[in-house]
Amino acid sequence: MKSPMLVVLLAFVASTYAAALALQSPKFTVSSPNGDQIRSEPISLTKKSSPVRLGPQDVLRVTFQVTENDGGTGVQPHQAFLRFYDNISGEDGLQPVRVTSNGKARFELNMARPPSSFPPTSPDSVLKVSLIIGSFVHKPLAVDLFDLIVPASQPVASHPEEVYYHPQPVIEHTFRPEQKTPPAFISAVFSALVLAPWVVLVGLWSQLSPKVPNLFSLKIIPFTATLGAFELLLVWYWVDLRLGQVLLYGAGLGIVAVFTGKTALVQVGKLRKGSI
Amino acid sequence: MAPQKTATKPQTSAPASPVESLWKAYSDNTSKRLKFIDSFLVFLMLSGIVQFLYCILVTNFPFNAFLAGFSSCVGQFVLTASLRSQVNPENKETFKEVSPERAFADFVVGSIVLHFFVFNFLG
Repeated sequence: MKSPMLVVLLAFVASTYAAALALQSPKFTVSSPNGDQIRSEPISLTKKSSPVRLGPQDVLRVTFQVTENDGGTGVQPHQAFLRFYDNISGEDGLQPVRVTSNGKARFELNMARPPSSFPPTSPDSVLKVSLIIGSFVHKPLAVDLFDLIVPASQPVASHPEEVYYHPQPVIEHTFRPEQKTPPAFISAVFSALVLAPWVVLVGLWSQLSPKVPNLFSLKIIPFTATLGAFELLLVWYWVDLRLGQVLLYGAGLGIVAVFTGKTALVQVGKLRKGSI
Repeated sequence: MAPQKTATKPQTSAPASPVESLWKAYSDNTSKRLKFIDSFLVFLMLSGIVQFLYCILVTNFPFNAFLAGFSSCVGQFVLTASLRSQVNPENKETFKEVSPERAFADFVVGSIVLHFFVFNFLG
């Protein structure tokens, strides 16, 4: 039951696939901006006509009808393009062509406003115009129509950032000049000035001459020694030690300082209150 | 400054000027221990001023050494000034719960931390 239907279907597909597309009455017209026809010719698919020349304001119109099997009914292909190919520069541009359901098509190219996909042209370039038609059910069709000479396109405007896309000058790092130490005389003067406050301090302290009767008592001297050790540790840190080491030693010394300090300060407090 | 004042106001009797009377009151009424701290404060102030003058007049190079020296003066001054205010018998009422020993312990801890940072900066 299935097989007769399949045969019919296959026959139908085969018949439609075999059908080729053809162009009927292809024709082009060149008209000036005020509507005067400059040139109007049917396009011969076998013998190429002389190149079509377009002025900067002219309009080119191409009309044709797509038919099935020469002279048959008009069909609407699924895709239709006009290809403009410049074989000097190798650039091409594709323009879709709208084909109506009865196969008639009309394409218009206004040189005053060329489409953006139109290839850039030089003064001596000749564009080959061909028509490409694609269909799901027919054999594809590609025909050369004519040669087209158009005015050279405007030079490409340079992009504002174009200058950055070239090799740039080599980056050379510049450093601030090495800072200089001041002259030895000025250094000496200011060293003396910086040391001068010590003279003031020693002078003032010797005038006051505070009494420290308990400094060397056994309960106080360990605290003083610990404080001295702290300062020595910091000097050692400046000269040689690393941060981790100084923190480690400092922590150990800190524990010692807590006990010696507690003993010493309790002793000092007792002395102050006069309980000893 | 003091002689000028006496010149403009000759009728003022001794003490000759407010500054002089201030100085006299200070030296008479301040205990030796506080004077001891005060001389240290003066030393720190002078030391800091000289370093700052060097920085603006000559050079700030090496800057880290200047930072270390100047900040040690300023920091030590602040610590010592707070020690002075806490051990001053006249401020007993303000620092009721802070004994002079406690104040000194705070001063020691603060100084050690300060010196650690100073040596760190010294480079």
